[in-house]
Amino acid sequence: MATRPKTLLERHYALLGLALIAPTVLVFCAVIVYPLISAIYLSLFSIFTPTLEGEWVGLANYRELLTSGDFWSALRVNLIWTIGTLTLQIVAGVGMALILHQNIWFRSLARSLILFPYFVSTVVAVLVWKWLFNDLYGILNHLMMTAGIIDWPIDYLGMMPNALISVILVGAWKYFPFVVIAVLARLQTIPDALYEAARIDGAGPVARFFDVTLPQLRDVLVVIIMLRAIWDFKEFDLIFLLTGGGPVNSTETLPLLVYKEAFALNQMGMASAYAVVMMLIMLVFMILYVRRTRSVDGA
Amino acid sequence: MADVTFSNVQKHFGAFRAVQDLNLDIREGEFVSLLGPSGCGKTTTLRMLAGLEFPTSGEIRIGDRVVNDVAPGKRDIAMVFQSYALYPHMTVGENIAYPLKKRGVEKAERARMLKDTADMLQLTPLLRRKPRELSGGQQQRVALGRALVRDPKVFLLDEPLSNLDAKLRGHMRAELIELHRRLGRTMVYVTHDQLEAMTMSDRIAVMEGGKLQQFAPPQEVYREPSNRFVAGFIGTPGMTIIDGALSGSPGAWRFDAPGISVEARHLGPDAAEGAASMGVRPEALTIGTGDTPATLRLVEQTGHENIVVVSIGDIRMTGRTTPDKVWSPGEEVMISIDPDMPHFFADGPNGKRLNAKPSPRGNEPSHSLSNLSEVSP
Repeated sequence: MATRPKTLLERHYALLGLALIAPTVLVFCAVIVYPLISAIYLSLFSIFTPTLEGEWVGLANYRELLTSGDFWSALRVNLIWTIGTLTLQIVAGVGMALILHQNIWFRSLARSLILFPYFVSTVVAVLVWKWLFNDLYGILNHLMMTAGIIDWPIDYLGMMPNALISVILVGAWKYFPFVVIAVLARLQTIPDALYEAARIDGAGPVARFFDVTLPQLRDVLVVIIMLRAIWDFKEFDLIFLLTGGGPVNSTETLPLLVYKEAFALNQMGMASAYAVVMMLIMLVFMILYVRRTRSVDGA
Repeated sequence: MADVTFSNVQKHFGAFRAVQDLNLDIREGEFVSLLGPSGCGKTTTLRMLAGLEFPTSGEIRIGDRVVNDVAPGKRDIAMVFQSYALYPHMTVGENIAYPLKKRGVEKAERARMLKDTADMLQLTPLLRRKPRELSGGQQQRVALGRALVRDPKVFLLDEPLSNLDAKLRGHMRAELIELHRRLGRTMVYVTHDQLEAMTMSDRIAVMEGGKLQQFAPPQEVYREPSNRFVAGFIGTPGMTIIDGALSGSPGAWRFDAPGISVEARHLGPDAAEGAASMGVRPEALTIGTGDTPATLRLVEQTGHENIVVVSIGDIRMTGRTTPDKVWSPGEEVMISIDPDMPHFFADGPNGKRLNAKPSPRGNEPSHSLSNLSEVSP
């Protein structure tokens, strides 16, 4: 099939289009593509961080990583953390969104307050929680002892499994407002007529939740779960500040391990290898997310 | 026995009185339309009957049972929504069978009832599709199916045809009439489209400002509108209503307005001297012959007739002529008003009808009704 030669105006528009997207493409290359490629490149070297000097080792870093216990233990902790905190975020987020969707008298105030944990800086949040958790003067231990629930103060962050449970709970507290916002936005678009039709059809409150609300939330929940899974999987500051990976390495997730390798053990090459493996794991979620959002758009 | 009864029902939303002192007896098997302009309280009335709104006071009965405190699902009613409200994630079959499932109808029985309903509405080939894969008319049919499937005592229909295009609306109107005839169930139908109300109903409840204005068969609403609002609301083109005054005495009344003076016949005992209004339907106006001079303002050619607007001073009146008459705007014409046909109303926007019963001769509605256009007022 012969193609028609482009007119002058069409060529002008094509050039204009290129000119308009060029800045974005350049910035994208500088901040995403270049670091990505250099991380993969660095992972093939043994590098001493302070001098950034090193020698080519090929895939030796990867071989060492996959045979070391550190990687598998960090991956296990990472998965427990991600699944645990994500589950709590979804359950608490959907529950709170359903409550805030009702006609309660303090609704606007509550909707603003609920965002507080999400907006507060992680450093501040961690300081507050460390204070609450403190085994000597923390209010949690004080209240529980006063109420007679416990006889001795609990060490929330210095013992297992307490430390991991505490981290998971603080993570859920910090990030569930994101789920609330997204679910609430979707809830508000569900037509009232659907609930009214269901009431006339004889559906009670529980049946209405499972037959009307939940199917309508399905698409948004899939997207939230994908996004939060990616974000929780690579969470660093909250865990690092709360426990630093301890006690010993029992709350050490992969991002913490990357940090340790790069800046504590000064092994930049090894750290890059960990980072690349992490990226490959997250790639699975990313592909699922992209495919999902594409099919939602197409529907 | 009245199948659905509203007794002194009020519904207030804060200071707003959506429905006031509503008394309505709908007979078993009757097709009743609630007709009125936006905000007249017709939808609120239907929603109270459905149990989706609670009356502020008064009593609603379905059959012998007071249903004020009965949940929507336990009232033995079914409703078709304006938006259809089909469950988007369920197939057509699941949508229709949903009310049966929620009532614990056993699976085999459910399948049989679904099949009967689908056959009746010609939905069988669509049962596995999702609502978004259907046309507006098909979705409408599925919504009807979901209402029909469990054979409720009362069907409630909230402007079910308003989202369809004009042609499909005409078709569905005929189907609904046929369906009502076949099922013989009580149907309460909310619409702002007088054509739907006139063609489908056994009786029409005309509402305005939260109040019932008239509750009567379509012919009666057209021929003997109970007040000035109903007179102006029903009929396309609308009735011309002229403000003026009555003078004289029983048996010898006259109606006078600037440029118009006519003998007022057939007035009832409520007529009195003073401000009043006269309503003239297009068919009561003769254009081209008569004794009153008027100016021709506008001619609308619809094909089978001409709609002609004439003016006498500030008064504009609408009439009809045969399409072969050729008029041009600005022309001076003579007109006459058939003295047996005008309606008279007491002063005020909802002024009561003053004509004596039975209605004056000649307002043959069969002709006029067939010419109602799709356009609602």
